Amino acid sequence: MKKQLSTFVGSAIVGALAFGIWPEMWKSYGIMGGFLTATVAIGPMWYMNHYLGIIRNPAGTLWIDQGLPIAAAGMAWGVVRFYPNCHLVHALPTALCCIVGGCLAGWVAHLVLQQMEKEGQP
Amino acid sequence: MIEWLSTYNALIGMPPVSVITSIFGAFCATFAIIICWPKLVRDFGPIGGFMSAAILVGTFWLLNHKLPGWGIHPDGIPHPEGGSKQFGLIYQAFRGSCPWVDMGLAIACGFWVNSLLHSPRGTRRANVKECLPRAAVALLGGIVGGALAGLVGFTGANLF
Repeated sequence: MKKQLSTFVGSAIVGALAFGIWPEMWKSYGIMGGFLTATVAIGPMWYMNHYLGIIRNPAGTLWIDQGLPIAAAGMAWGVVRFYPNCHLVHALPTALCCIVGGCLAGWVAHLVLQQMEKEGQP
Repeated sequence: MIEWLSTYNALIGMPPVSVITSIFGAFCATFAIIICWPKLVRDFGPIGGFMSAAILVGTFWLLNHKLPGWGIHPDGIPHPEGGSKQFGLIYQAFRGSCPWVDMGLAIACGFWVNSLLHSPRGTRRANVKECLPRAAVALLGGIVGGALAGLVGFTGANLF
């Protein structure tokens, strides 16, 4: 239980931060606001969650990225923020497309990295 | 064919062409981030992580999530020529009124699959079993954080 506490807290913070400020920054500063938010929200949150290891990823285990809580937070945020006009089931097709594209990229990246390792590239 | 591809399809909640763009957008962001982020961190330390956040996530956010006009509108932005237009690659289904689907989902899936394929054969089943509680807690944390951030809409405070 205690072992999972840091994962829970880190996930909650990154989810709230991404969706608390990203839409507002976009509304205020347009496209540069998106860049700025990626720098000031994802940067420090990556440092906390992955560089300092608040989202637990012991060596040799499968990687849980902070993208997972961000995606979960996006759906929860939409459902709560635009209640009652926002339904979770409408997000499923796009989410499925994202999962397919992401898994495909993970597989292709594995093949590419394997080949690069074989050729001794950095 | 083009007409069928670009016409809104109620069955899947998006025009069929958006399936292609969503998968491609998710693929682009995930591939670039899996390849570049760990290498940038190895080369530059934590500064590399900040650089990645700015140039990788920022740029791919623009590719995948930029919205027409200004601001997120749950009903989509009406276009002068009629209908709602979408310019980001990852489609926000149901004419933009669905809960926000973030490219973080694709990136998380990509990293997970990548590390699964990197772990040696024979340990994979145990690894999957080991990561499930962590993934569930991360999901739960994200849901709690996002829902609490969404609650600001109910404060009813009229500041201006």
